[in-house]
Amino acid sequence: MSVKAIEMRRSASPLHDRPHARRLDQVDPYLLIATLLLIGYGLVMTYAVTVESRTLTGDPMQFVIRGALWAAIGVAVMVAVAMFDYAWLGTFAPLLYLLMLGLLGIVLVIGTSSLGAQRAVNFGGLTFQFSEVAKVLMIVVLAKFLADRIDKIGSPVTIVGGLVLLGPAVFLVYRQPDLGTSLVFVAIFFGMAFMAGARLWQLVGMLALTGAAFPLIWSILKPYQQARLTAFLDPYADPQGAGWNIIQSLIAVGSGGPTGKGLTAGTQSPLGYLPIAESDFVFAGLAEDLGFMGAVILFAVYILLLVAALRIAFRAKDPFGMLLASGVVAMLVFQILVNVGMAISLMPVTGIPLPFISHGGSSLVSICFALGVLQSIAIRRPGPELG
Amino acid sequence: MRSTSREFARPNRFIAMGIAIVIVFTGLTVRLWDLQVVSGGHYRDLAEQNRMLRLPVEAERGTIVDRNGKVLARNLPGFAVTVIPVDLPRAQQADLAQRLGPLVARDPAAVSGAIDVQRARNPYEPVKISLRPVARDTALLLSERSELFPGVRVEAESIRFYADAVLYSPLLGYVGPVTEGEFQSLRDQGYLQTDLIGRTGLELQYEQYLRGQYGWREIERDAAQREIKQLAYSAPTTGNSVVLTIDDRLQKLIEAELKKGVDEDKFTQAVGIAMNPQNGEILAMYSNPGYDNNWFINGITPEQMGQLNGDDRHPLVNKAIGDIYPPGSTFKLVTGLSALSEGIANRNTIVNVTSNVLTVDGYSFYDWRAHGTLDFVNGFAHSSDIYFYTLGGGNPNTGRAGVGPEAIYKYGSDLGFGSKTGIDLPGEASGIMPSPEWKLKTLDEQWTIGNTYHESIGQGFVAVTPLQLLNAYSIVANGGTFYQPHLLKQVVGPQGDVVFTQQPKVVRKVGITQDNLTLLRESARRVVTIGHAYMPNAKLPIAGKTGTAEFGSSVGKDSAGRNKLGFHNWFVSFLPKGDNTQPTADIAMVIFTFDSSRSLCENCFNPAVGMTQRILEAYKLGTP
Repeated sequence: MSVKAIEMRRSASPLHDRPHARRLDQVDPYLLIATLLLIGYGLVMTYAVTVESRTLTGDPMQFVIRGALWAAIGVAVMVAVAMFDYAWLGTFAPLLYLLMLGLLGIVLVIGTSSLGAQRAVNFGGLTFQFSEVAKVLMIVVLAKFLADRIDKIGSPVTIVGGLVLLGPAVFLVYRQPDLGTSLVFVAIFFGMAFMAGARLWQLVGMLALTGAAFPLIWSILKPYQQARLTAFLDPYADPQGAGWNIIQSLIAVGSGGPTGKGLTAGTQSPLGYLPIAESDFVFAGLAEDLGFMGAVILFAVYILLLVAALRIAFRAKDPFGMLLASGVVAMLVFQILVNVGMAISLMPVTGIPLPFISHGGSSLVSICFALGVLQSIAIRRPGPELG
Repeated sequence: MRSTSREFARPNRFIAMGIAIVIVFTGLTVRLWDLQVVSGGHYRDLAEQNRMLRLPVEAERGTIVDRNGKVLARNLPGFAVTVIPVDLPRAQQADLAQRLGPLVARDPAAVSGAIDVQRARNPYEPVKISLRPVARDTALLLSERSELFPGVRVEAESIRFYADAVLYSPLLGYVGPVTEGEFQSLRDQGYLQTDLIGRTGLELQYEQYLRGQYGWREIERDAAQREIKQLAYSAPTTGNSVVLTIDDRLQKLIEAELKKGVDEDKFTQAVGIAMNPQNGEILAMYSNPGYDNNWFINGITPEQMGQLNGDDRHPLVNKAIGDIYPPGSTFKLVTGLSALSEGIANRNTIVNVTSNVLTVDGYSFYDWRAHGTLDFVNGFAHSSDIYFYTLGGGNPNTGRAGVGPEAIYKYGSDLGFGSKTGIDLPGEASGIMPSPEWKLKTLDEQWTIGNTYHESIGQGFVAVTPLQLLNAYSIVANGGTFYQPHLLKQVVGPQGDVVFTQQPKVVRKVGITQDNLTLLRESARRVVTIGHAYMPNAKLPIAGKTGTAEFGSSVGKDSAGRNKLGFHNWFVSFLPKGDNTQPTADIAMVIFTFDSSRSLCENCFNPAVGMTQRILEAYKLGTP
């Protein structure tokens, strides 16, 4: 998909109402700067976590090179997507929905197992996390669905219809099993429904219903998922077992102190005390190396990105654009909250990547795609000349 | 499509979303502040604790050598298996115990239990799982398949090894693992839970010298417990060597004679002790049966334990100091000394032994023959019982007075009977030095003249350890000084530096006049020269005294199929210098055979005499 986008970069689009050259000044500079800063931060962390790892075998630089390659692809995708009118996405929303379900289905059928879950597909020596792509596609589909019904947003039929669209995706992701990512889908839905103007009592009611159904949900959770939740509540109940990750992550974060141990000078991550240090627990490694300062800088850039995205949503020319941008914001906020929260024991352990910082091409390119869409929305916002 | 109505963008919702974002990041930041800025130091310590492990480096225990440097106890390299509980996930513990148990020959439940105890105490410190050294194959398996054995470490350890195990076990004892109960008090003294400690014998007595001081090394390790690098190292200090006063050559000469006798069923048990009377140094100490103390090092099996416990001769007891026996005629030294010192007798005191029985108040007291007219020297040399009955208890038939039991008690106690000599070995017995007061207190009975008679010839209540008897004769041999018997000669540091030298320790000077000393020494020499203690072709002027105590039936066999012989035989001797006029001697020795036959030696009645002659001649003159 991304390759195709690059090929089409120079071709004219029939739906493109104005030449893009005149729109370059409409690019949102804050979003762009924040994006590039975060991509850079992510590369630095990939370097820090992998280069000095004393447990890693093989050439550590390959991770950094691969990360840089993915970053380049991501930027290219972002630029290409920004060129196109995002209305195209609305046009193809039903197809994209089928594509999303197809991708998630493929993972279950031919996905490779890693750490007990079937979450990725190997293709041509590369590993694809289709659920990362699926999250962005879900945003598009929900945005289209809700935008078309923005006048009837208060109707329960609209909300239930959105849930019907959401359900199969959540189910397929949960079956991988990837509880964390399926929760991201749910968060996207709630965020978008909220921004679309859904009645608050409906949203709160659904949350309350979920809460009431917790015993049922608990019973269908896998034992390791239950253990993670128990360990979250009391990591020291089994410090060598389920609580190990949490405790080690807390130690890594805490030991970073105000200014950190210095890039690559951490011990928890290089010595293997942080499991999946380059992805799930990358924040703990960051906090250990760069300390409170490094984390706050990261948060500042995130906030810049999110506020810029919200502004784009607010200024979007149509409900579809507004909801697309809102969905992306909801997705990013939720992922940041859960991933960072997990590292500092505010959230249970789940395998959700930290946007830009976790090493992983699928996640990065998907986010870049989404941010490309946001730029497309920004470019096509009603200009000041339109009053 | 371009809508001028922008109702779809609801400002309130955007504000709410913005507030949500602010709340999320504020929450995360506050939590980070708490973790990193407030508690940063605490977590930094935890990270160091994770990364670094301080492991003890075992120190070699000191060796034990004889006076000439012959090694009696040393260390061999081996492997031990330990577990660091923090490295073993609790969920895998049961599995690991199942796999590890058979490899270290322990019950999996016991393995798991040991890990639990350590986990509760200090999970970062290793707990030793193997009770005995593990085979090299096992050590290799555990190291190579470490993924199957989380938390398990194989460590080099040194294993105590006793070269002449059975010969020296009564002296050396053995070491064993520190028990859970002891560890509570020992940990403050620098002991580790995996430590060995002296259990009995000299290993226990000189634990403070023999024990080395642990070193440590600090390693950096990854989460998989692989050692990444060594950060710091502090070398262990080897324990000091203990040099004994024992002369291995003499020890083996004694063993050769006594072991042969036991092996040939001439007697069931035997003790031989040799001492330098001039300073109390023990030159040899042999007790048969002994035991193989290496059994305890390698983890004694139930069969072996059963064998030791099932032997009614009690192989674990060092008979030289740990059990008491009637001294028989050897005790006439005490009766004689008492009578001489109290003026009841002198060199020329005559007793006419015209019959082999003395009858007093209707009771008969026998001698082994009718000796005829005896003076002191011949009374002692021929070991006349009636002569010493008369010296001790007098003769009511003639109105002649004896020295009495109080005096015998006084001189017997002075010579060390009835109390421990204080030798540097655990498990010494006190023996019994009776007196009328003692009998009243112990048995609630009045003392009789029969008690005095029996005591006068070393029968009845009096009971001694072989060492006490040797010590008493050594006092006479050296001119009246009670030196505390000891086995420690020197303590030598790992670099060969002398840490401690044992000086002769005088317990007391026993008041014996020069005349009486000369008389007693002359009498003891006469025992040999007249052939009572028959020494054919004697090459050394050995002086001494025989003793025989009948203690039971001499018919049939005991439970182990050994002949029941019914006699103890003693020969306690010393080797005077020159013409025996100077109160000094080279060596004093006691040979004691338990349950021996009266008929073993047709001419002398007493197997200990011949053995003493052969041992001393071989030792002093070299084996021809």
